[in-house]
Amino acid sequence: MDYGYYPGCSLTGSAKKLDKGVRAVFRKMGHTLKEIPDWNCCGAVEYGDRRELTGLSRENLKKAEGVCKEIVAPCPACYKNLKEADSDKAFTILNPLELLNKEMLTSVAAKRDLKGKVFTPYYGCVLLRPQETAIENKNVMEEVITYFGGEIEGEKIRDHYCGGGQIFVNKWSTEKLSRLIAEKSRGTFVVFCPLCQMALKTFSTGRKVIYLTDLLLYVMGENNIL
Amino acid sequence: MSSLYVQASETSERPSEANVLRPTVQDVVRPTDLSARIFALADYQRADFSVCLGCKICASVCTINDLGVAANPQDLLVRLFLGQSVHEDDVVVRNCMSCYRCTDACPWKIRIPEVVRAFREELAMASPFEKAFKGSINIWGRVYEPYVILRAIPFLLMQGYVKHLHKWVEYAGFHLPHKVKRGGS
Repeated sequence: MDYGYYPGCSLTGSAKKLDKGVRAVFRKMGHTLKEIPDWNCCGAVEYGDRRELTGLSRENLKKAEGVCKEIVAPCPACYKNLKEADSDKAFTILNPLELLNKEMLTSVAAKRDLKGKVFTPYYGCVLLRPQETAIENKNVMEEVITYFGGEIEGEKIRDHYCGGGQIFVNKWSTEKLSRLIAEKSRGTFVVFCPLCQMALKTFSTGRKVIYLTDLLLYVMGENNIL
Repeated sequence: MSSLYVQASETSERPSEANVLRPTVQDVVRPTDLSARIFALADYQRADFSVCLGCKICASVCTINDLGVAANPQDLLVRLFLGQSVHEDDVVVRNCMSCYRCTDACPWKIRIPEVVRAFREELAMASPFEKAFKGSINIWGRVYEPYVILRAIPFLLMQGYVKHLHKWVEYAGFHLPHKVKRGGS
């Protein structure tokens, strides 16, 4: 299937790994990603003027007209902003997590499993909130991990916030919140947000932090991933 | 201007109550003007906040509490509704992290983080990093990370980010900025 693709700014820079992972998983699943031409920044959460913020994503939707009807946006902030801007539902805005249903998982040509490995799936904030822009299946990462035999241990930390959005604004808050999450969880962190990845990697001393796409590529047989 | 956020400390100690709550009189803004501008920025009407019942569920779930600082977002909404002054040292205005736990819990789903961001915009509270972020969008239409980091370097050095550099090697890379054609909406 063909999808429009909105990588967003961080996936062209510090979260290049997530961009590569998403593209690789989609390619292996037989899907095509077509980048929205000349896309601009969505504004993330940096704008106090809601109309100005929404306007940035409206520009992107206008650029997507005639290119695609379904847009894949891996970065949670981009995904939320695009969804809010698409008020008349002219497009279907998708986070890759929303394509990971049981049908898709059974079609994965798994060359490895995750038996004996312990993980903490961590969604961060805007993938789960607010409700109107959240992903529908809020257990998707747990389902992927357990489907391939992985274990999930530690306390439920899904409602906790890592402070990733503040990492370059108020480091003290990010450090404290990320450490709280690390203390309550076990094993390798599995994330899908570039800011969660950076916050947990920086402040959860010694813990591995990977994107869910890394996990899928590992199961699919890629080397040097985990 | 006084320090805008809870101050980062090299030892990661909790900031004192005095640092978090200290008001400075000169920063108080005329209430009615401020309220009207906040409503406009956050895309709300004053009447939208009349439904707040004062249940304080927003306060009970607020992430700021996890920092050891008591926060009550509902108080901010009430002050805004009544046209009372709100100060930049307000605990929620300074420390809200846009996690949306309050919105999720609120019976009326009020987007409190967006109200807070409107306050920050109106009170010119952007950090050097946030100014660099927007500056990049103004120049190229995208966030060009090398530019943002370079422009925010004095702030990053003063706040002790250097000690984390070894963990950020995987993020390093170089690409030339792409200038986007804007104004398509």
